Amino acid sequence: MTMATIERRAVLGLGGALAAGVTLAPGITLLAAPAERTEASAGRRWAMLIDSTQCTNSCTACTTACRKENNVPLFGEPSRDVHWIRKVELRDKDQRRPSVQVPVLCNHCENPPCVHVCPTEASFIRKDGIVLVDMHRCIGCRYCIIACPYKARSLVYHETRRTDESNPNVPIRSKGVVEKCTFCVHRLDDGQEPACVEACKKEGKGAMLFGDLNDPRSEIAKRVHTVATKTIRPDLGLKPRVYYQGL
Amino acid sequence: MLRFSSLVRFVLTVLPIAVGLLWLNPSLVMASDGQEHVPGALRLEMPAGKKECVKPTEWMRRNHMDFLKHNRDMAVREGVRVTSDSLKNCTTCHTSREKFCDRCHTYAGVAPNCFECHHYPK
Repeated sequence: MTMATIERRAVLGLGGALAAGVTLAPGITLLAAPAERTEASAGRRWAMLIDSTQCTNSCTACTTACRKENNVPLFGEPSRDVHWIRKVELRDKDQRRPSVQVPVLCNHCENPPCVHVCPTEASFIRKDGIVLVDMHRCIGCRYCIIACPYKARSLVYHETRRTDESNPNVPIRSKGVVEKCTFCVHRLDDGQEPACVEACKKEGKGAMLFGDLNDPRSEIAKRVHTVATKTIRPDLGLKPRVYYQGL
Repeated sequence: MLRFSSLVRFVLTVLPIAVGLLWLNPSLVMASDGQEHVPGALRLEMPAGKKECVKPTEWMRRNHMDFLKHNRDMAVREGVRVTSDSLKNCTTCHTSREKFCDRCHTYAGVAPNCFECHHYPK
């Protein structure tokens, strides 16, 4: 790197710092302070990489952390329980390879079928590529549940209640809406990683990696470009953003 | 030709109705006085140590629902989260939901369902 580029960067940085604080008049600023206001950036592509060789069969750190962070309800009925992330056993049809257990969650596809079928536009793609459900608009028609090939979505069949252990930062869901993994969008906007990734790093073996694919300096962008990765059902052409390594 | 007697009859019919409507309209009654002695006007307790909301009270009273709904949609769909304009920030001053949201909503006969899912800190 030459001196000229360093200087230019320094000047750019200084300009940015100045712009952030430029005050046009008392009470009117050109740009809001970053801590006060956040917005989804179209320049980002959030993605996850799961290393199946590091994921142990008995570990449920990610699923437990997700349930706790997002107040995901359990009704005690296996067919109606809500799962945002679940451990799935993948078997080779020809039995040439041993079966592996990996977490499966919403793949936040680039071409999400759930969004295309939603009649109320409750399911949508946020600017940074996260597929979300606007619970305020969802009418619970369940088209999206049928459309999703990853079985990532669940309907809230019963009333849920807030308990003392519930996370106050995440709303509970009313009966009759569809919910799914949000990549912990409230945490992302707050500058944190999703709860499952954090739990996997702390309690598991660090099999999950999360980051911005569009940032070439991010760990995930480097890994996705250097390591052989797979997505589930790439033949469907949905371009999922959850990558698996070692499948 | 309009006859004088029919004009008088018209005025005599319309005048009591107009006066009655004016009497029934609470906003005009409140505007004329604005004090707590007015029957029908609901006075909410001010949060301890606070004098003013983030926006003028009159504006908030009329527009808070659209304001919050707009912010809600911006937060969910665009990821725009403005700390000072959030419902969470309301609860930093208005610490009691019963004395703030519920009292007015009960009075106005509306039942918004924000807190079926969202948490109101105690």
